[in-house]
Amino acid sequence: MRESLFPGLGIVSTLAYGAVIAWLYLTAPRSLGEVATGARVAAGTYQVDAARFDAALRLFRAEQFRAARDEWGRADPARRDPRTQFYVAYAFYREGWGRLYKDDALYRQGIEAADRAISLSPAPLTVADPTLQMHTAAELRAELEKGTERRMDDLNPMKLLEPRK
Amino acid sequence: MTDAGGQRAFVHYVVLPMVLLTVALLGGLRVTAADHGFLFVAPPLVTLVLAGLLTSLFVRGGLVQPAAWVRGDRPVLENVAHILTLAALFAASAQAFNSVLPEEGLLHWLFSFFFLWTLWNNQFSSFDPARLLRSLTVLFATAFALKHMLLAGLRPAEAGWMGRVGAALLQGASLGTLDIPVFAPATGYISFFTVVLYVAGLMLVPPAPGRDEVHRLLRAYERLGSEGRARLRDAIAEDEAGSEGAPQRRRLS
Repeated sequence: MRESLFPGLGIVSTLAYGAVIAWLYLTAPRSLGEVATGARVAAGTYQVDAARFDAALRLFRAEQFRAARDEWGRADPARRDPRTQFYVAYAFYREGWGRLYKDDALYRQGIEAADRAISLSPAPLTVADPTLQMHTAAELRAELEKGTERRMDDLNPMKLLEPRK
Repeated sequence: MTDAGGQRAFVHYVVLPMVLLTVALLGGLRVTAADHGFLFVAPPLVTLVLAGLLTSLFVRGGLVQPAAWVRGDRPVLENVAHILTLAALFAASAQAFNSVLPEEGLLHWLFSFFFLWTLWNNQFSSFDPARLLRSLTVLFATAFALKHMLLAGLRPAEAGWMGRVGAALLQGASLGTLDIPVFAPATGYISFFTVVLYVAGLMLVPPAPGRDEVHRLLRAYERLGSEGRARLRDAIAEDEAGSEGAPQRRRLS
């Protein structure tokens, strides 16, 4: 290699390595697995594990919400898929829903997941799943937010008859 | 081009920045004790101040001569590569401090003060590059030993009864401001590697990269063909003869 090429090579390698370091400090991965996932996201080759997603969906429909969320977590470790995040939010909603009260902690986590779904989706997110009563992330988020609010309306006994969506 | 010249240029332009950037990467890396996950600690502001003082010390001690690193008569690419290397040196210095400083609590500020005091005093001492390097090695080795050997031994969860008593006494004496974050032992190994790599990087830093100009000319001469070399030798001989004859002519006239 010609010696005059080394300064150029040095500049390119320094800038590339510096960018990798900055990316690591910004994304703060917790393990080498997360580093690999983050690299796939950055390279645009990241995909959700379809088999795990389907397994999680079966658990969700069997009302095994925590197990479903764990499985979706493994299917979408980088939390980059809006559809998966929508289902995660829905799982929080259904687990936190009660006829007499709503679990605020679960609802708040549901709002976070719904926010992720909304921000990740380039267009308004709609999930055409006939087993669900809410099909858009915005609708789901509004329902979760309503559940965390304290209003006089909460004392209305008719609310006990409201169905879970 | 000779192999030695190519290797020297490769080390200077590629290996040295890589070594310094690796220090910048590992200096803030910790491994948590709970789940052995990575934790990237961004350099606190005080480490940037310390790195600034250390850079000033590099210049005063002659370890780096900025005027020789960036010069107007040098090709732009070389100047840019040198500026990036100096930036990597600054980042590595900040992260080397980050690696040996306790993360929080009273000890963080005690260590910071210790570093600030030492670097500030050194600004007024006379150093040559070798002496400065030795002094920095001792400084970082001391801080490493204090943080990763002495203080790590006082972790209540892992220490023996003496360690527990020592930790309790230190906590009491510092009115509870002595927070010692618990990290996995791998953190100490990473920090050791970081400090060693940093010192190795400093040893690779040439005070004035321009001094290899003669070697560069020699390599350019070697690239010429036999005819070109002969013409160059003739030109040098003519030039030398001219410069030697000029004073004589002046004397005769």
